[in-house]
Amino acid sequence: MNSEATQSPWSLLRLLKRPSDVGAGLSSPAGGVQAVLLRIVIPLSIVPPLFAYIGGSTLGWRLGADEPLRMAAGDLTLVSFGYFLALIVGFLSTAAVSVWMSGTYGARRDFGSHLAFVAFVGMPVILASVAHLVPHAFVNMAVLIPALIWSLYLLYRCLPEVLGTSREQGMLMASALVGYLLVAFVSLLGITVVLWSRGMGPALGV
Amino acid sequence: MDSNEQYHDRVAGWLTAFAVVWALLGMVAGVYVAAALVWPDIDMGLEWLSYGRVRTLHTNAVIFGFGVSALMGTAFYSVQRTCHVPLFACGLAWFCALAWQVGVLAGGVSLLAGWTGGKEYAELEWPFDIAIAVVWVCFAVVFFGTIARRRIRPIYVSNWFYGALIIVIAMLHIVNSLAIPVTFSKSYSLFAGAQDAVVQWWYGHNAVGFLLTGGFLGMLYYFLPKHADRPIWSYRLSIVAFWAFTYSYIWAGPHHLHYNAVPEWVQALGMVMSLILLAPSWATMINGVMTVSGAWQKLRTDPALKFIVLSLAFYGLATFEGPMMSIKSVNVVSHFTDWTVGHVHSGALGWNALITFGTFYFLVPRLVGGELHSVKLANWHFWLALAGTMLYVLAMWGAGVSQGLLWLSLDEIGELSFSFKDIMASMAPYYALRFVAGVVSLAGAALMAYNLWMTVKGRRIVAVAPPRTAPEAA
Repeated sequence: MNSEATQSPWSLLRLLKRPSDVGAGLSSPAGGVQAVLLRIVIPLSIVPPLFAYIGGSTLGWRLGADEPLRMAAGDLTLVSFGYFLALIVGFLSTAAVSVWMSGTYGARRDFGSHLAFVAFVGMPVILASVAHLVPHAFVNMAVLIPALIWSLYLLYRCLPEVLGTSREQGMLMASALVGYLLVAFVSLLGITVVLWSRGMGPALGV
Repeated sequence: MDSNEQYHDRVAGWLTAFAVVWALLGMVAGVYVAAALVWPDIDMGLEWLSYGRVRTLHTNAVIFGFGVSALMGTAFYSVQRTCHVPLFACGLAWFCALAWQVGVLAGGVSLLAGWTGGKEYAELEWPFDIAIAVVWVCFAVVFFGTIARRRIRPIYVSNWFYGALIIVIAMLHIVNSLAIPVTFSKSYSLFAGAQDAVVQWWYGHNAVGFLLTGGFLGMLYYFLPKHADRPIWSYRLSIVAFWAFTYSYIWAGPHHLHYNAVPEWVQALGMVMSLILLAPSWATMINGVMTVSGAWQKLRTDPALKFIVLSLAFYGLATFEGPMMSIKSVNVVSHFTDWTVGHVHSGALGWNALITFGTFYFLVPRLVGGELHSVKLANWHFWLALAGTMLYVLAMWGAGVSQGLLWLSLDEIGELSFSFKDIMASMAPYYALRFVAGVVSLAGAALMAYNLWMTVKGRRIVAVAPPRTAPEAA
């Protein structure tokens, strides 16, 4: 059965309110991988960098100190574009890792379902990125952490149904994906810091 | 074989109980120091409750009280079963167990009193250093004495890791503690300046390596197959990972001294060996994940297994993040910030604590021949542990990256943009979040303590005899 829930980000958003329907909603998405990528993943990945650009250019990032950190318009555009690419790579690589793991955990193997599921799990964090409009580091953490907990809940709660595996194998697979996501996030942090220390981004005395 | 021969499990049981008590005390101290960073007047001006003293009590209580008690207990339990003989010199094992508790308790009081050698994770003064060395040698005699009497020719991989823990920690502790006593409560290191720093971080990093990583891998390699009721996915990989781990870890210490007054090549060597270390670390993680993935049915009945599954995820994170932070161009931002504190706790709360809690949920009911008091409470503990660890790590990532950026920010004329004092004052919200994370983690550990207490209440440790028949040749 092809699903209607992956027609647009709005249809995916409606599914957040009723995670019990998620199995029928996300399994075998209509139009396959290409449709999920164009209708869901790319539109969702535009949102956080857009908010970050607007917030960064109008107010400047406050990391705690009184004076905001401001970047030149060119640098800010570059960083926002990098953010967009990182999200796309993040969605695709997580779905690819999820497909790779599916053999071990007895889950379905079609890439489209995995990509739709990863996008669904990421929805709360994408929604919470509205906090980027107020570019204060702690405000963003305070908003994003509850969203992250919501995403974790969706990952553990919905994975068995969407990817067609048992509750127990779903629990193991979700934990393995948490491990991957933590490593992916910290890698991104590391790459970002290396770029900063090489002169890209804020002016640092290194 | 003596027909009345039995395993000496009471000593392992008591060490488990001591470990639970130290976990609670150590986490209470941790929550207190987290609170002190939000409300600095919390110590009411009392030196004994000052941040600097209670913080060292926290690290000593969790590493040496909780960690070593858990390792000693599980080593005593598993070495008997993997060798099919009771412990060698059981009286000496009791001496190790009890003397260690007295030592950590007295050492903790001395830290509160202001006695300190000033070396991180090696703060205890020289009388304690001598006592630790004596107890540790006794630990070695019991452990290797049991191995020497074994009835199974191959030495199982968990014993390789526990053995490395015992030998390397003895070497590190004795060399790093070499000092000239001035009074009963004060001594000065035999090493000076940069040489002292290199020895200290050779000790410090390998204490993390061989105690908090290697020792707990010994626990993993014995208890994971027991939990999963199936052999390790690849025994050969576990042996290869052991030797690669042992060889490469010992060189990685200088990454704690990047951009300091030690030779450039020493820093580069520390960085390169840290990066190489990723391979054996992840080999073990893959071995663990693949072992547990074939035993998913056990999750229906065994709440402990999910702790071990999650501990492997955090083990993967911590052993990736560590090498990454040793890269000099990352370290220039991350060093001296709370990012390091977050990294340490992703290992301590996510790996060490979870693998130990999972092991205790498995071990304690079996020690007393009963069922776990409440599976529901254990499940609650699991979610609290996950939430507490995630919250802690995220708060410290946020604080650490902000600190790194702000400390290094320059204005138009090349001056530092922000004062250190202002930056640190602005960290209060992150520290409040860390305090909440600590309370959540502590609440989970308290649930476990209650659950285990109710499991053992009114029961005695059951007697178990070694198998009568020799195992079949592999």
